[in-house]
Amino acid sequence: MVNLTIDDKQVTAPKSATIYEAAKMNGIKIPILCHDKKLKPFGACRMCLVEVEQMKGRQIPACTTPATEGMIIRTSTPDIVKARKMVLELLLLNHPLDCPVCDKSGDCDLQNLTYEYQVNSNRFTDEKFNHEIDYNNPLIERDMNRCVLCGKCARICDEIVSYGALTFIDRGIETKIGCEFDDGLNCEFCGSCIAVCPVGSLLARPFKHKARFWAMTKHPTVCGYCGTGCNLTLGVKDNKVLTTIYDEDQGFHKGQLCVRGRFGYQFINSTERLTTPLIKKNGRLIEATWDEALELVAARLSGGAAVAALATPRLTNEELTLFKKLLVENVGTNNFDHAAGYAHTAITEGFARSFGAKASSASILDIQKSDMLLVIKTDAYETHPVVGFEINMGVKNKGIKLTILSDKRGKLSKLPDATTLVHRPGSEVAILNAIAKTLIDDNLVAGSAATIAGYAELEKALAAFTADVVAAQCGISAADIKKLASEYAAAEKALIVFPVGQAYSGHTAELATALANLAILTGKYDKEGCGVLCLSEKNNSQGAIDMGFFAQDGGLNGVEILDACAKGTVKSLFIAGENPLTSYPNHTKVKAALEAVEFLVVSELFLTETAAMADVVLPVCSFAEKDGTFTSTDRRVQYFKSAIRKNVQIKSDYEIFSNLVTRLGGTVAPTPALLFTEIAANTPGYQGLSHVSLRKEGAFAAVATTPKFVIPQADAPFTVEVGKLALVTGSALYHNGTLSQYGEGPMHVCPENYIELSRTDASLYKISEGDVVTVSSASGSLQLKAKVTPRMPAGVVFSPYHFTAAPINTIWNGSPVTSVTVSK
Amino acid sequence: MSDVAAQQATDQQPAIDLSLADVVIDKYIDIPGNLMPVLQGVQDEYGYIPRIVADHIAERLNVYPSQIYGVLTFYSQFHLKPRGKFIIRVCVGTACHVQGATRIVDTFFDKLHIGHAETSPDLRYTFEKVACLGACGMAPLAMVNDSTYGAMTVQKVEEIVADYNQRPMK
Repeated sequence: MVNLTIDDKQVTAPKSATIYEAAKMNGIKIPILCHDKKLKPFGACRMCLVEVEQMKGRQIPACTTPATEGMIIRTSTPDIVKARKMVLELLLLNHPLDCPVCDKSGDCDLQNLTYEYQVNSNRFTDEKFNHEIDYNNPLIERDMNRCVLCGKCARICDEIVSYGALTFIDRGIETKIGCEFDDGLNCEFCGSCIAVCPVGSLLARPFKHKARFWAMTKHPTVCGYCGTGCNLTLGVKDNKVLTTIYDEDQGFHKGQLCVRGRFGYQFINSTERLTTPLIKKNGRLIEATWDEALELVAARLSGGAAVAALATPRLTNEELTLFKKLLVENVGTNNFDHAAGYAHTAITEGFARSFGAKASSASILDIQKSDMLLVIKTDAYETHPVVGFEINMGVKNKGIKLTILSDKRGKLSKLPDATTLVHRPGSEVAILNAIAKTLIDDNLVAGSAATIAGYAELEKALAAFTADVVAAQCGISAADIKKLASEYAAAEKALIVFPVGQAYSGHTAELATALANLAILTGKYDKEGCGVLCLSEKNNSQGAIDMGFFAQDGGLNGVEILDACAKGTVKSLFIAGENPLTSYPNHTKVKAALEAVEFLVVSELFLTETAAMADVVLPVCSFAEKDGTFTSTDRRVQYFKSAIRKNVQIKSDYEIFSNLVTRLGGTVAPTPALLFTEIAANTPGYQGLSHVSLRKEGAFAAVATTPKFVIPQADAPFTVEVGKLALVTGSALYHNGTLSQYGEGPMHVCPENYIELSRTDASLYKISEGDVVTVSSASGSLQLKAKVTPRMPAGVVFSPYHFTAAPINTIWNGSPVTSVTVSK
Repeated sequence: MSDVAAQQATDQQPAIDLSLADVVIDKYIDIPGNLMPVLQGVQDEYGYIPRIVADHIAERLNVYPSQIYGVLTFYSQFHLKPRGKFIIRVCVGTACHVQGATRIVDTFFDKLHIGHAETSPDLRYTFEKVACLGACGMAPLAMVNDSTYGAMTVQKVEEIVADYNQRPMK
């Protein structure tokens, strides 16, 4: 700590603090334009000039100058005020004064400072800029005429997002912010640049001229897309969610969001939302009253084990608990599941076997505390972009070593000094087993490992997985396997990160146990910055597991439920929010099952293709219209409150389940808050939590681990049929599940399905970027737009799974790798 | 030269051979801070930095394409459009100015039909006014590529243009 005097006040600050930070910590405000606490000091705008007595009264920038012992600082002498006024005059010289039509007005740092420093005239005159406004993309408007060259957008795009779309171009008076060759912006559209822009240069186009900043109410909530558990603030006016508002103090991620979180909110107020229950009569869905619909559903639910349910892990913990209670206690069935029945098995079976806990022991916060990250599949960035930002920052700012084991290269591969080991698709488990064997053979295991249950069996079972044998099968060299093993063992702290999801059918219990073995062998599992972090797909995937909403106690899992529907043993199926027709593997099979089942009820926000097949459709609330808790992938339990009033015609899933419980003769907690007290009492790790205690910020549900070695079964190496390509499925950066199809933002930038292929294959099959190609597998064929990218290895093609219009499950039946032909 | 003319000139160029750039990149690839020498070396090969080469450098050196563009536009030594075979520089610094550099410049304009920082459509000439060539004793001064011409007169301009008009382009 250092002691210093700021404006005659004795203060202390940490040794690493700058003058600006020291002042801020002690409640003294120094104006800034170019500084952001998440970014490295830059010192461009000169608004934060202060006087330091020891520096002979010179004016120095507070944001870049370290605070040192005994400094005597004055932040607002008449000279300083005069200098700041001049800085503002100079900025306003070229900045157009079009505040009345600028969306930033009211939230604009330049406007606020001009007001604060009463700059009501300008001693200088010059022409205004006349840069062309960039309207080339549908999400971000770039008006460089308003730019003050603080560089925050270019810096955040580099330092945190690591995309580098923006930079300073030209020099001197002609300097401006732009993209390469002065093109229009074409990036991953996370909107971080909009968030930090202190003026109206970068604006969200979907929000243009929708509302004045001060006319909106701000509602903090939890993002409803992926499992990261980002916090976000919704800007609401007239009961409509109009935008997301940046709050640099919000959440572990300090307000950083991805394209889905920032631009994917439009589904909330979509005109396509269902507004009334529908009942199928004579093959058509007809509007009905809630009483009719629920009466019908209740009647069909009393069928014991002939009833089954699939729920989306986007429901709240309270809703999932209530749904489970309805099914187990009132209906009398154990046949319920989520996430296609396999996307959660890494946790429910893998971690359960290896760690004795159905959760990741590591948290997202461990990423930046680690020394080495082992990421399985570069897709971890696409599935969880804000986790990707944490990895970016860790690697770039803290020099964390990053090794990626993946079937393709990706954005993470581009990070400084990142090593990407590209292996043949579907061979992850074998490689991990080979690493485990190397650890044992080269005596790189922790001293305590041999005492942990299952060690001898594991050692025996791994005998066949020598680095040489596996290397020959997997397409990476034995030396690389051995190097990775020794680096992993040598790192003081190492964290393994891997995504799971409906499109990652290979990321199951076997993969999780193989990864767990590495962590347990080296003793890197229960410490800070260590462990295995499973990135679960949906916002409440971990919650669904914690609430026990998955196949257990002899109940059928997701796949078996659909099989039973087809066979006729399940007669009534309740689908709450899932869209199996698009997101579950094997379209034909899913469709046949849904056609065969006697009674199908779907509760949904939209009339999805699954809902269109239902006998009863129940319109439900989005996350913005209800209260409850979500549990993020690292078990952060977060409470959120409704941001808008729901349409009177729709009900929350909670209300629907509670109505059905009552109709079936049960009793239920009247509010989610009361039910949560029951959940807290009965769920391990949730003890002591309540809606009230979670109101301010979320809390981690504790995970206790008891390690054990489990033998992971590696599939035989996948061989692509001769003359065919290996198709791997996954998530696109802009989407999550099928919900994001109803968010305008994601659909603006990624409106349709595509297939990515390598340059080698592209020239082999004479396919160029943008060509429509026919992709065929044994189960069907699909027309997709081709994307030729340097990231794909030859022989491997990638296609995401989110799109109803061209569902990948018509050619993909759930195997981790599929042989396909691609032709023009 | 207008942008359209420059574009036409670019289009007339044979397809750009990236292997020339690869030779330069290979030379510097393992050296930290290699962007400047690579860009300079590549410009020596092509005479300017074609966009496709800039993108190729970005991919191989793993730097953002935008960052390369930032560097290219910051330094006046880099050129994004094709340059003439003969680069004529006329000094308009103080010493040359008082010795009548303006007339020298105007005569070049008349003879070459191109203005400051422009390239003739046949890619023979690029003309530049420069602030000082560092040989004020020889004012007014002009340079064509590496040859220096001191004590310039209007007549000498005509001689120089006539001379270089006849030189081969290869």
